[in-house]
Amino acid sequence: MAEKETKELATREEQAPAVRRERPMIPPVDIYETEEALILVADMPGVTKESVEVKIDENVLHMRGEIVDLPGEEVEPLYVELRGSEYYRAFTIGPEFDLDKIEASMEAGVLRIYLPKVEAERPKKIEIKVA
Amino acid sequence: MPINWGLEFFDPFREFERLQEEVDRLLQLTSPFIPIRAVARGTFPVINIGETSDSVLVYLFAPGVEPDKIDLSIEGNILSVSGERDASRALKVEKVDPSRYYRQERFNGRFTRAVTLPESIDPSQVEATYQNGIIKVRIGKKEEKKARRIEVKAS
Repeated sequence: MAEKETKELATREEQAPAVRRERPMIPPVDIYETEEALILVADMPGVTKESVEVKIDENVLHMRGEIVDLPGEEVEPLYVELRGSEYYRAFTIGPEFDLDKIEASMEAGVLRIYLPKVEAERPKKIEIKVA
Repeated sequence: MPINWGLEFFDPFREFERLQEEVDRLLQLTSPFIPIRAVARGTFPVINIGETSDSVLVYLFAPGVEPDKIDLSIEGNILSVSGERDASRALKVEKVDPSRYYRQERFNGRFTRAVTLPESIDPSQVEATYQNGIIKVRIGKKEEKKARRIEVKAS
């Protein structure tokens, strides 16, 4: 136990504060369901469609966005509420989605992911015949 | 204080720096003195302010807003922003039924915020752009307040 603690201390001191990896920020999301699909919208201000990555890996949907155009070295921070350069969030998704038809778009810092449901999973109206 | 130990066992300066960092971090959350216009977490838009030698830069993190629905103004050295965001627009669904939301974390509705800028700014030198969901406001500093490089001459 003590050995593990000293090891952790050693690695922490080796890292200079400047290169310590920042934890990614968690973007707020809205999730909305329609008959045909699930729509996920995430706020990632500063991210472009080139710097965003959406992927599905073993029924986990990952979204990662990098802020482009961060202020350079000549800008001195005066007041900072948002500290970070990357957003990341992930969700598990069920098998009812047609993974080949997933669409993602990025506009004004908002990521929209459209997850259509497999045809067979869509609710079917049951017709009631009058005898 | 065991100052007669080797530095690798106890460096009082490093300990002090580390303590200072911890205290700084704590104070950021619970300082008794915070700007009077400071807001709690979860407000919209999030704001960062920085300065260069000749201007002050304000970044308003406002994704998915329509620029003409935003009111940005400067009075003295106070920058105010207000507007409205309809969060459901981003869904691109024709008719939004509120009961179909599983999760609603994104800000929706009217917002208004104001921040105090340094005294060095010149309110007549303002320009703002909206890109990738960030409103970037650049305010020039008064001529006499711009930082000047001082050349060190070899004697």
